[in-house]
Amino acid sequence: MATPSPFKPAAVEAAQRHLEAFALGNSDVALTVLTSGDGFEIAAYPAKGPVTARVAAMSSSMQALAQALTREAGLGRNRSLIVETDTGSAIVLDLDDTLPRTSLAVIASNRELLGKLIWASRNLCKQLEKTLGQ
Amino acid sequence: MNAAGELKIVFTGPMGAGKTTAITAISDTPPVSTEVANNDQQAFAKASTTVALDFGQLALSDGTVVRLYGTPGQERFAFMWEILGRGAMGVILLIDANSPNALNDLEHYTRTFRGISPGQPFVVGIGRLHDAADDALAPFRERLATHGIVVPIFSVDVRKHEDTQLLIATVMAILEARMPEPEHGHA
Repeated sequence: MATPSPFKPAAVEAAQRHLEAFALGNSDVALTVLTSGDGFEIAAYPAKGPVTARVAAMSSSMQALAQALTREAGLGRNRSLIVETDTGSAIVLDLDDTLPRTSLAVIASNRELLGKLIWASRNLCKQLEKTLGQ
Repeated sequence: MNAAGELKIVFTGPMGAGKTTAITAISDTPPVSTEVANNDQQAFAKASTTVALDFGQLALSDGTVVRLYGTPGQERFAFMWEILGRGAMGVILLIDANSPNALNDLEHYTRTFRGISPGQPFVVGIGRLHDAADDALAPFRERLATHGIVVPIFSVDVRKHEDTQLLIATVMAILEARMPEPEHGHA
């Protein structure tokens, strides 16, 4: 779904380029979506229309649920959420210090080592935080 | 109701209808909330919006525990409607009478949730209905009646505990009316 983006167009374009570079450098990554806290797609690679919009909404719901759980458990702010299946994984990472709050969803096949995927995704988050914070 | 004496009631309705407020008003425990900042002020001028669910609990005098789930109001979170509606023993639909889409919202959510939770008690609360006349609810009843749907509809202010309690009590009354009479043993 098109978003009334809270970020400057130049920042969104730069974020889009970061997502593209990340996906091209990690061949088993199927989809990356940068999402506002209330479930709007800010940038995505590859752009897949309705699928991307649904992943944006679902990842924001899951992130909010994870946040509610960690708050209930007294664990503080949630950094990431990992879903593993037989064929792949989905990671939702909270970006620090973006206003409004944003998160990154990464979906990859299980040919990618999960640890490497998390490490690469966190590096991508740092790039995005810098880009969106400008 | 399950063996443990618990039942699940779902509050649904469009964004801003008062679902989070209702659950907060009635829950015995601080509700679980997944509200985040609302970035789409053009669609709805509201500071925050629910993106996953609200959850609260209410203990009744007979020991029954009512689990209260609130759905996100926005259509893009409709996948949560299916998840939350599953296993519900009753659905309470809240509608904002001030919304220009109030009647369409009523029809849309009624059709959707009667599909998700078929055969379960369905009760409607109309909020912000400033017209105190007896027939102020008539347009809402008539809209559903044109589709052959007859359900209890109340004018409510969900900030008031007793109004939300009325909606829950109505669901409970419908459930009780459906229960089979207890069999009496033979002497």
